[in-house]
Amino acid sequence: MTLVLLDTNAYLRLAKRVRPMLGVKFGQKEYVLTILKITENEVHRNPRLRHNYPWLDNPEHIEERLAKQVRLKKDEKEILNITKGIFRQHVLENAANYKTPPSPADCYILAFGQVRPAIVVTDDLSMHQLADEFDLEKSVWHGHELLHKMLSGKYIDKQLVVEIYEALEINGDLPKNWREVRHTTFKKVFGPKKN
Amino acid sequence: MRKVINQITLQQTLEEQGWTQSKLAEKVGVSAQSVTNWMQGEGFPRPATLLKLATLLRLSFEQLVQTEEKDQPVVAFRKKGNAKTTDAHISKTSEIGMLLKPLVPYLPEMQALRTLITSPSTEYGKLQTAVSQTRVRLGVGDHAVLRYEQLIGEFADCGAILIPVLWGHKGNHENAMHIRLPAEDVTFIFVNLDTRVEDFKFWMAHELAHVFTPDLAGTTEGEDYADAFAGSLLFPRACAESAYAEASRKQSANGEIDALLHHAHEHSISLNTVYQRVKDFTAFAKLPALSVDDRAIHMVRNSIPGPLVSEALFDPMPPSPQQFIANAENNFHSTFFQAIKQMIQDKGTEAGYLQQILDLSIGDAQALHEEFTH
Repeated sequence: MTLVLLDTNAYLRLAKRVRPMLGVKFGQKEYVLTILKITENEVHRNPRLRHNYPWLDNPEHIEERLAKQVRLKKDEKEILNITKGIFRQHVLENAANYKTPPSPADCYILAFGQVRPAIVVTDDLSMHQLADEFDLEKSVWHGHELLHKMLSGKYIDKQLVVEIYEALEINGDLPKNWREVRHTTFKKVFGPKKN
Repeated sequence: MRKVINQITLQQTLEEQGWTQSKLAEKVGVSAQSVTNWMQGEGFPRPATLLKLATLLRLSFEQLVQTEEKDQPVVAFRKKGNAKTTDAHISKTSEIGMLLKPLVPYLPEMQALRTLITSPSTEYGKLQTAVSQTRVRLGVGDHAVLRYEQLIGEFADCGAILIPVLWGHKGNHENAMHIRLPAEDVTFIFVNLDTRVEDFKFWMAHELAHVFTPDLAGTTEGEDYADAFAGSLLFPRACAESAYAEASRKQSANGEIDALLHHAHEHSISLNTVYQRVKDFTAFAKLPALSVDDRAIHMVRNSIPGPLVSEALFDPMPPSPQQFIANAENNFHSTFFQAIKQMIQDKGTEAGYLQQILDLSIGDAQALHEEFTH
């Protein structure tokens, strides 16, 4: 089984339409998606998010988020805190190099991915930059990479990929790199790029 | 930033584990020479290697790495009542200080010639001399009402950047936050406008004291001096003497309170500031104390909640980002938002940066960011 951690934005972009989503195995590597308690807290306590994404409060979504969280042992928590501290200190010392310095929560998620281990899914480019700086680029995916894994693992179909892209586009929430791979990674879904 | 591996900690940990330097090198995946270099304070591991080293040895960054003190932000909070400043507060503020470093090149050139109080003392006579000289600099007589606007120019003259913020009406130290970057020789002062008008001048003066005494920033001594300086600057000996003369003629504690309140309203400062300065004056002059006590003063003060500075400045609340920035620049002569704007235009800095340095919600940070980019 390969654990896959979603950050808040990755969860928000997919969880409304991919049902069920958390805790289900898919693909040859038996990927299993999950979110962390800090992500749930962010979702639960942020009135703006709950206003913009009313489905977050659906009982089905709440139960799934609460049931599929990962708990760490004491020993793992110690390593997690050390790792998070190293990441955060690196960010602070090199803050000028980031357009958005990864936050303490971002560092926590990335650190969690190292402790378990798990792949972290985020469209936050600064988190990818931080992972690169620690030679962890293979441990972090963009949201579209996860979408592609779900498609190739036959967990979702082409129609759902189209629906997700359309919904993100309508909401003005389609990240630039999702747009860029529309006719490459997802060529079989959207066809070749038209000139 | 100059960093070295903490050789003593590393040596001790290796001994505890029963490992040689060669074994450590093998486990971390570096040459034995690299470990030797670290042990001699030469060279520093790459990020990935440092992470391996830390997790392998179970050492935090602070335990494993030594950094130069001048590279670390110095933070100071204004104490309020019994509010406690926790490690988490200091750590969070220190992180904001680190994040502010990239902004420094975008700030206007700082004044090199600055005002310093060289031997800060809370002894009554010395304190009165310091505030009297400050009032002379500001062009304000000993009896005159000091307005907060008169303090603002002093901050810029001392290399301090004022950052007005709306952090809500909190009953703790976050009404003011002071971050000094020693290596960059810049001080950032966050002033929460969601504060009572009567308290606002006090902590502006308190922050000014920190700016005048940079070597005391971040110490209890510095906080005590800043409190004493602020109260005395706003209500110096001459004012305290007049208030005492008036209050001591009253027949009751209530009459004394009314007399002190009259002075507090006249100076737009709190009843407690007036009372404490009168108390200091009577102790110094060896005069009989007033009959009113601290408890009664606090009861009266808490029974009359005054308006907030933000309500007085922005009506209706909340202000738009445009109004807020204009206010910061015009009323507080803040160069902070102009620097932010230039940084965003130059480096493509995103809203998440504003969210972290200003401790905003992401929604507010995005609104502010849009104001700089539209």
